[in-house]
Amino acid sequence: MAGGVHGRAGDIAVSLAVTYIRDRATLALTIALAALLAGCADEGWHGKNITGLMPELEFTLTDENGNAVTEDVFAGRPVAMYFGFTHCPDICPTTLARLAAATRRLPQSVSEDLQLAFVSVDPARDGPEQLDEYTGAFSDRMLGLTGTQKQLQALTRRYRITYGYDEPDANGDYEVSHSSAVFVFDAELEPRLMLLDSLEVPQMVEDLERLLTKP
Amino acid sequence: MKLASAIVALVVLLAGALWWVGQMAPESPIEVENARVRLVPGGGPMAGYMEIRNHSDNVIRLVGAASPAFGNVMIHRTIVRDGRARMQHQSDGVRIVPGDSAVFKPRDLHLMLMQPRRELEVGDQVEIVLQFEDIAPAEWPVAFTVVPVTSQ
Repeated sequence: MAGGVHGRAGDIAVSLAVTYIRDRATLALTIALAALLAGCADEGWHGKNITGLMPELEFTLTDENGNAVTEDVFAGRPVAMYFGFTHCPDICPTTLARLAAATRRLPQSVSEDLQLAFVSVDPARDGPEQLDEYTGAFSDRMLGLTGTQKQLQALTRRYRITYGYDEPDANGDYEVSHSSAVFVFDAELEPRLMLLDSLEVPQMVEDLERLLTKP
Repeated sequence: MKLASAIVALVVLLAGALWWVGQMAPESPIEVENARVRLVPGGGPMAGYMEIRNHSDNVIRLVGAASPAFGNVMIHRTIVRDGRARMQHQSDGVRIVPGDSAVFKPRDLHLMLMQPRRELEVGDQVEIVLQFEDIAPAEWPVAFTVVPVTSQ
């Protein structure tokens, strides 16, 4: 009986201790999370700051006019680059339309230099004509690019992104998986920012304005 | 006095008839709102968005769709995981419980409209027939409005 009481008291003590430890853990976690959030808030970006984390822009691709081009096509001007494919009816147009809308809302001093690029990772279906028609629907300043698998892989690997193809269906249609963020490079073509697909237009505007405003 | 009684009788009769007609007219079991097709140039597939409300007492399921304006229509959902986007065919359809709605919207559920059969323009109306299970009739033609690709 006494043992039972003792045991119960012990149980309570243990349970209190567990609660205490759990509370401490929760508290520690909360503090860590708050610090993390505060860190993010301090940094102030809506997207992800990738300054110094990845190599500068470098590629050889074919543009929407059928010309072979390198990163020099953007030299001296910042560029926002998205990787997708034209047979992507939902997320690609959604992200590209937001990016184009954000660009139009930037102050002219910031926006005049900014270039937009759409890199198709589906060269089998996206020839220059298809790319030209597609990019033109979003913005005059959006350049469509694609290349051979080797060229595309050389570029996507630099930014640690992957893409892939599903098996074609009976109609020969197939799905393509691709990176969902917009990569922003500064005028020196250094990667600076990833605009995640979850960002709304005003958040994109804030990030782009902050990054591209000349001191 | 006789006239007054007649008028009262007539009013009561009319009210009864109206009530009866009201009871007769069934409430539509489903309602589709904001049905739109986002125009993508170049002959590639486009996305159809809408909100389907289930006013019936049954769990219903959207199992497919077809359109005279497109060669093939599928129900897809965009999935983004670890910064990678892909589309997932909803082979079991979309289940809607009574009183609830299914929202087809950008970066989420959408009708994947493939092989456009004619050149579409902003403002055009496109018929898409939604195919349901556990509802009569099973086929619901809906007029979708073609909207610019830049609309959200």
